[in-house]
Amino acid sequence: MAFSLDKAELESELRKIADYIVTLKREIAVLQANEIHTQTIPGAGEDLIAVVTSTEGATNEIMAIAENVLSADASDPVAYKNFVDKEMMALFETCAFQDLTGQRISRVVKTLENIESRVSRFASYTGVQDASGYASDKEADDAKRRERLLLNGPALADDGNKQNDIDRLLASHRGE
Amino acid sequence: MAADTGMPILVVDDYKTMIRIIRNLLKQLGFEDVDEAADGKEALGKLKEKKYGLVISDWNMEPMTGYELLREVRADPDLAKTPFIMVTAESKTENVVAAKKAGVNNYIVKPFNAATLKNKIDAVFAPAA
Repeated sequence: MAFSLDKAELESELRKIADYIVTLKREIAVLQANEIHTQTIPGAGEDLIAVVTSTEGATNEIMAIAENVLSADASDPVAYKNFVDKEMMALFETCAFQDLTGQRISRVVKTLENIESRVSRFASYTGVQDASGYASDKEADDAKRRERLLLNGPALADDGNKQNDIDRLLASHRGE
Repeated sequence: MAADTGMPILVVDDYKTMIRIIRNLLKQLGFEDVDEAADGKEALGKLKEKKYGLVISDWNMEPMTGYELLREVRADPDLAKTPFIMVTAESKTENVVAAKKAGVNNYIVKPFNAATLKNKIDAVFAPAA
C-alpha cells in the first residue's frame, strides 16, 4: 500500500514522536529505576534480613530462658523463685525486639507502596500491557518448582485449613 | 500401642529454631533420641545410615522438600514403613491430599502446640481400629 506525507505532515508527525520521547524520558526519570535498583530494593532487603535475624535471635533467647527454667534445681524454693524472677525479667527484655521489627516492616511496606505507585503511574502513562510468561528463566523455573511441589507457603489468616479441617481431610482420604 | 519413647526420631527442618522447638517438645514428651537434618536430601542420607522410629518433617525446604522426601521414603523398600509426620505451614487442601496420597501418617499445621504434637504421635502408633 502506497502512502505519502507532505513536508508539513511529516514534520508534525516527527514533532509528536519527539514530544512523546521527551515525555517518556521524563516519566522514566520519575520512575527512578536506578534508585529502586541500587538503593530502595537493597535497603528493603536489608530491613527484612534484619527482621529475620532479630526474630530468630529473640526466639532463641526466649527458648534458652525456658530451657533454663525447666532444668533449674527447684529443691530450694527461695533460690528457685529468685532464679525464675530473674529469668522472667530477661524474658520481658527480650520481647522488646518486636518494637524494632515492627518499625522495620512498616518501612518495607512504605517502600513497596512507593514502588507500586511509581510503576503504576509509568504503566498508566505509557499504556503498556503486561507481557505473558516470566521475566527470566530462573523466575520461570522457580514458578514451575513451586507448582510441581505444591509450595504455597503460609496461608493468611482465615485462609487455608486449620488443624481440625486437616484432621477431617486426612480421615476422609483414609485408604487412598 | 503407645509410641516407644526410646525410639530414634529424625526431625527435618531448614530452620534451626523450629528444630529446637520440636526437640524441646519431644523431650517434654519423653523422647530423648532426636537427630536433625536441614532438608530432605540430608534426611535421606541419615535414614539410610540409621533406622528411625519416626520422621517429623517440614514441607518447604531446599534442595529437597519434605514432600519429595516422603515419596522417596515410601518408594524405598527398606524405609517404606517408617512412620512419617508432616509439620508444615502448607495448609491448603491440595497439600494435605497430596501428602496423604504419598503415604503420610499424620499432618500438623504450623503453628502448633505440644498437645497437638503428642496427639498426632499417639495416633500414628495407636492400633488400627
